[in-house]
Amino acid sequence: MLLMGASVALAAAGCDGPDEHGHPLHARPRGADEAASYATVLDLEGLGRGVLARTRAGHAVKIEGNPQHPASLGATDIFAEAAVLSLHDPHRSHRIRHNGRPQAPAGLDAVLAALPATLRVNGGAGLRLLTGPVASPTLARLIGDVLAAFPGAQWHQHDPLADDDALAGAVAAFGQPVAVLPDLARAQAVLCLGADPLGPGPAQLRQARDWSTARRAGSPPRLFVAEATPSLTGARADRRIALHPAEAEGFARAVAATLGVSGLAKGAAHAAAPDIAAALLAAAPAAIVLAGRGQPPAVHALAHAMNQALGARGVALRLIASPFARPEPMAASLVALTTAMRSGEVTHLLVLGANPVQDAPAFLAFEQAMRRVPFTLHAGLWEDETARASRWHVPLLHPLEAWGDSLAFDGTPAIRQPATRPVVDDARDALGLLGKILAAPLPAREAVIATWMDRWGGIGFDDRWTEALEVGTAGPPSPTISPALRPDWDRPGEAPPATLTAIFAPDAGLRDEAQNAWLQELPRALTGLAWGNAALFDPQTAATLGLAPGDEVELTLDGRSVLAACWPVAGHAPGCVTLPLGGGRKAAGAVGTGRGFDATMLRPADGAWTAPGLVVRRTGARASLVATAAPYRADDAGAVPRVQPGEALAPIARGTSLHPDWPYEGRAWGMAIDVDACIGCNACAIACQAENNVPVVGPQELARGRGMHWLRVDRYDFDASEAPAASFQPVPCMQCEKAPCEPVCPVNATVHDNEGLNVMVHARCVGTRTCSNNCPYKVRRFNWDDHRPAMDTPRRNPDVSLRPRGVMEKCTYCTHRISAARSAATLEGRELRDGEVETACQRACPTQAITFGDLNAPGSAVAAQRHDARSYALLGDLGTRPRTTYLAQRVPRDGT
Amino acid sequence: MFGRGADSRFKWVLWLSATAALLCLVVAFVHVRSDAAWSVGQPARQPIPFSHAVHAGGLELDCRFCHASVERSAAAGMPTAETCLGCHARVWAVKSQFAPLTTALALNTPVPWASVSRLPDHVRFHHGAHLRVGVGCQTCHGAVEEMPRTVKAETLSMGWCVACHTQAATERAGESPLLPASSAWRTITHQGIEIPALTRCSTCHR
Repeated sequence: MLLMGASVALAAAGCDGPDEHGHPLHARPRGADEAASYATVLDLEGLGRGVLARTRAGHAVKIEGNPQHPASLGATDIFAEAAVLSLHDPHRSHRIRHNGRPQAPAGLDAVLAALPATLRVNGGAGLRLLTGPVASPTLARLIGDVLAAFPGAQWHQHDPLADDDALAGAVAAFGQPVAVLPDLARAQAVLCLGADPLGPGPAQLRQARDWSTARRAGSPPRLFVAEATPSLTGARADRRIALHPAEAEGFARAVAATLGVSGLAKGAAHAAAPDIAAALLAAAPAAIVLAGRGQPPAVHALAHAMNQALGARGVALRLIASPFARPEPMAASLVALTTAMRSGEVTHLLVLGANPVQDAPAFLAFEQAMRRVPFTLHAGLWEDETARASRWHVPLLHPLEAWGDSLAFDGTPAIRQPATRPVVDDARDALGLLGKILAAPLPAREAVIATWMDRWGGIGFDDRWTEALEVGTAGPPSPTISPALRPDWDRPGEAPPATLTAIFAPDAGLRDEAQNAWLQELPRALTGLAWGNAALFDPQTAATLGLAPGDEVELTLDGRSVLAACWPVAGHAPGCVTLPLGGGRKAAGAVGTGRGFDATMLRPADGAWTAPGLVVRRTGARASLVATAAPYRADDAGAVPRVQPGEALAPIARGTSLHPDWPYEGRAWGMAIDVDACIGCNACAIACQAENNVPVVGPQELARGRGMHWLRVDRYDFDASEAPAASFQPVPCMQCEKAPCEPVCPVNATVHDNEGLNVMVHARCVGTRTCSNNCPYKVRRFNWDDHRPAMDTPRRNPDVSLRPRGVMEKCTYCTHRISAARSAATLEGRELRDGEVETACQRACPTQAITFGDLNAPGSAVAAQRHDARSYALLGDLGTRPRTTYLAQRVPRDGT
Repeated sequence: MFGRGADSRFKWVLWLSATAALLCLVVAFVHVRSDAAWSVGQPARQPIPFSHAVHAGGLELDCRFCHASVERSAAAGMPTAETCLGCHARVWAVKSQFAPLTTALALNTPVPWASVSRLPDHVRFHHGAHLRVGVGCQTCHGAVEEMPRTVKAETLSMGWCVACHTQAATERAGESPLLPASSAWRTITHQGIEIPALTRCSTCHR
């Protein structure tokens, strides 16, 4: 009875109890403001994207794009958004280790202090540096200093995703490495030969923005894509051709021959070539040809020659010198290093930030070679495979904690500044480690200043430096170069045998951060797979081999085998299998270890992107795959409508209702999502997860349909044929004016407010889940577990509460951002301005597909979009009167 | 099987149980509405024995001297070690007493002040917005200038907040300095029920 009384008292007091009485109320440390934002830069594949790191009480809690940086323009991609989770990952390496045992920092310092003298004896003959691709001017300068101080030393670069063939193609065409910068805002026709300008990469944000700008202006480039593995660009292409890698060169050659490119060493023909060539010629000089990763050097050279013939350079295309400090074939560089290690030439190996033991081709046997080196030191964020194979491991500072600099894909320099309190006490940065080897230790900030002092000179340096830190860029993009096409540019490659071919490709949602749970749990746009990868087949090839989706297969190449899951993807080229890299990790913590299969086990030692002779055998077992909803079809209810130019959709009907209407006299929040601009990059989904403290549930729960993403991106395939065109439709809560969830809640936990928000009262919810059952959009998420202990870290956004177990949650239209803007307006004694409230998804979107604002405000952007001829409501005939509406996809007029 | 008085004994047990249950409910009801349940009047353990009575009362220091961001941001802002030691390096420089502050200054860490009036996680409170419309510090924090040890002055329960929000919105909408003259703050009527704008969930909850 007493217990009962106590529990009644607790229940009565529970919701609003002063449970935080006496909890710490931190004053800010000196200098830092309570909420501040720092312009810095994050690298992807070695090239920077400018970001603003938003901090609370000194901790970075959210990454947003830097509008003044040309590789971001205010948008972010999934990798930039997820960086903040990696930064605060509790499984990050925290200790300096020697042979796996924790060491005091003094032990390492003593060893490093003795190093220069040891190395100087023979001019550093046994010293090797191994880094990822380096574009950072300061890192390159310090590496240069090390190489100058120790003439015998050598520097190798390694990146499993390095496009060595593009380099070879550029050298064949121009005799020098170049970077190709397409201008998709000006181009009228674009042919992508395996290129994926709208897909993940260091230039994605810029190219996607340019492409969407052209679409909005009504002059979209006609997009032709010839590729083997379906890509985001392919999904939005006007015409897509599924091409086996063995046909890639022949196809490019056929287009080049039809275009009349001079200097062709060999002709070819392809059925689709004349049409595409004609479209390119009609659009010339605003026509460009892009060759992508995985294409042979000859295709890259052909693309350069075609651009020359079309006159695209200077119109819709710009060539610049490669932004990398030393462009080199990285696979060959790694082979050279491995050979040297095996022969005992290497006495000291420093691995800075790379993880070659995991991501080098297994045929290279890098680990065995590395274990022969007497002194190996690995610096990395995690205690990964390379850390375990090294004698010394040093935790590395996260890019958000460290000083440095970086170049963007177009050569725009930017300074990286620490935007957060250091999370790991013992962590070092690469610049500092190099300084120790030079016996000239210099704090990283001073090293970066020294680099830029060299470039800018001492006069007015302080002002320029301050401006670079505030703005986020440190200079203009690289100048255009105009190298002449060599007469002997065309060096036809050998046609590979047309046997079953393995295609190695970067994973669509993962780079080297398999430890990042946000990235792992994000369903890949085109496969719907999360928490692991699968071998991607074309449905016909899979059927011929007797494979069903999710069957386990044994893939054998050159005597090595690996077990993988089979996953047929519509639009994949027949006769080849795509093996995504980055899965099957052996030491990536609880989150990343053993997710999917490791394609590097099969990759040829020379780092080739394709390998013929793959043997596929069904094991009879089923693989454990986590696949979210399959794509919708064009005839499904709620499918994205498509409109031709001049066509208008019926205005959104209000429908009738038994319930009286709310008087929306003040503001009426609404959102419009332009499906025509959406490229399915998923940045909005991760931005929402970061902003709203959305928990990660793990593979088992996700497979049971218990994922928590407040915003999902649905895919609609419009064509079941070999080359499906797809639309992506982001689905947050529709904030219905006649919300079906509201009347069915037995405890009034989901209620309406007078600005049209459908408000979820977590503290009232008793978890009947009736609301979710009654929601036609299925956007409500239920907390099956208490995720608060895992979420309550300095990473969490303090503006959004954490939800306990057993309650519903859903998109709030970022109500905390609305409140913050309202308070700001109150303080200044004014009304809210249009565009002042930006939701997290809207802020992240690279194509500005999402508009948010007050539907009642005259002239607001969202009201204009709602009355657009393309405006439609998802499942609008249900009479829910959603506040979130969409703009239909534009398609070219029939017959063009 | 049952004795003669079983029936009446059972009745007694039933009555007793019902009375006890009722008593429990009454006790619980009284308890959750008591100041003790809301920690009203209870001080928290602070890093240094700070007295608002001395600083705000005796010396008449302005609140904003230490809570610097109270007029412009959501959080009032707590004093840094520099703020305290700026004066206390010269006056009342009792070294042992200020050890937590000198440590914070040396390590560049925040001073771990303990909150006595923190709201739960799902509540959003903007100091600046309340000051702007004329709600003074004492309304919620009580007469801090008379507190040698800072204590919570009000329950800060939802009922306590809403009482003020309802009154402000219904009585003085439009002409009141408490409310900005925006259409968004008008009271609306839906299904015959008057809903003051300041009492809708999303005003305070997140």
